[in-house]
Amino acid sequence: MYREYGRLVFAVALRALGDRGLAEEVTQQCFVKAWRASAALDENRELGPWLVAITRRTAIDVYRRESLRTGAPLEAVAPDDPALMTSPPSAEALYETWEVRQAVGELPDDEREVVRLQHFAGMTHGQIADQLGVAVGTVKSRSFRAHKRLATALGHLKGETG
Amino acid sequence: MTPSNEDRIAYLAGEDVTSLPTDEVAALDALRAELGAAATWEEPPGELEDQVVMAVSRAAAEEPGVEDGVAERGTAASQERGPQRASSPSWWSRLRARIPLRGPALALSLSLPVAAVAAVVLVLATNSGNGTAPLQFAMVVQGTPLAPGAHGSATLTKTTSGWRIQLSARGLPRREGKDFYQAWLKNAAGILVPVGTFNDARRVTLWSGVPVTKFRTLTVTQQVANGDPKSSGRKVLIGTIR
Repeated sequence: MYREYGRLVFAVALRALGDRGLAEEVTQQCFVKAWRASAALDENRELGPWLVAITRRTAIDVYRRESLRTGAPLEAVAPDDPALMTSPPSAEALYETWEVRQAVGELPDDEREVVRLQHFAGMTHGQIADQLGVAVGTVKSRSFRAHKRLATALGHLKGETG
Repeated sequence: MTPSNEDRIAYLAGEDVTSLPTDEVAALDALRAELGAAATWEEPPGELEDQVVMAVSRAAAEEPGVEDGVAERGTAASQERGPQRASSPSWWSRLRARIPLRGPALALSLSLPVAAVAAVVLVLATNSGNGTAPLQFAMVVQGTPLAPGAHGSATLTKTTSGWRIQLSARGLPRREGKDFYQAWLKNAAGILVPVGTFNDARRVTLWSGVPVTKFRTLTVTQQVANGDPKSSGRKVLIGTIR
C-alpha cells in the first residue's frame, strides 16, 4: 500500500505542513491510522479522499503540537520554522495536491522532466533544451503533450480533445 | 471568441492566451501553482517505507487478542471482497508479504512496560544470504523514566563504511547549545561505544564501527558539552536486538 500511495500521502503532508521531517512523521501516522481503520472501511469507498482526510487530520494535530512549542523570541525564529507556518490548507486544496501529484506521476519520464523544469525550476524552453541536450522544438513538443495529458487527466479540457 | 482546448493547454503550458474566461483562468492558474510547488516534486526518503512498515507492524503487535493483526485483517478483507479492485483492503495482505513473519528471518519480542523503564523490541532481519540485499535489522525504541512519552524505531544496515543506524523517534524535545543527545551501542559486557550526537531525534543517521550483532543495545542519553566524554547515564531511549 505504501508503494501505491506513499508518495501521494507524503505530497499532501508536505503541502499541509511545508516541512519534510514533519511530513515524514505524518506519513507514518497516516498509514498506521489507515491500517487501524481499514477493517471498517467500505470497500466501495475511494481510497484517495479517505487517505487525504486522514493525512489532513494528522497534519492538523502535528501543526497544533508544533505551534505550542515554546522557544526563542519570535525574532530569533527562522522564517521556515514550522511554528510559524499558517494553518494547513483545506481538504479540497489538499485533494488537488493529491490529484496533481498522481497525474504528474503518470506522465512519461521525458515529459514529466520538461514539466518539472518549466514549472518547478522556472526554466524557459531554451534553458530546458540546453539542460536536456535536445532541440527546442523537442522541448516544445514534449511540453505540449505533457500539458495536454495533465489538462485531460485533471478535467480542464472541454468536449472532444484534439 | 470561444476558447479551444488548444488555448487551455497553451495557457497551462505558460503561454499568453487571452481568450479564456476568468473562471477557467483561475482554475488553470491554481493548477500551474500546484505544478510549481515542492510538494508535487519532492520524493519521500527511501527509508520511509521501512519506517511505515515498522510502525504498522508495531501497531499490529500491540492490538489485543490478535496474534497476527495484519494477516487477519488482510484475510478477512480478501474473503469479503468481490471483483478484484486495486483499492480493496486486500492491500494489507501485500503489507503482510513485506514483513517476514515466518522462518528464522524474524525474531519478534514484546515486553510491554509495567514499570516506567521499557525496552520494546521488534526485529526484522533481512539476510543477505544471496548477496543481493544488505544485512539489516530494525528495532523499536522506547522511552525511559526520563522520557516516558518517547518512542520510535531504528533501522541498522551494514555497509562497507560500517553500520548505518537510522533513528526516527518522537517525544523528545530538541536540545541545543551545550545540551545535546548522544547515541550509544552496548554489548553484553556493558561496554559502551558512541555512535553519534544530535539535537533532534526525529530523523537521525548514526554510524557504528562495531557490529550491532555484538553490541545489541542502542541507547540515547542527554549530554552536556562539559569536557566529559563519558555517558551521563541519563537515558531517554533504549532498544535491543534479541
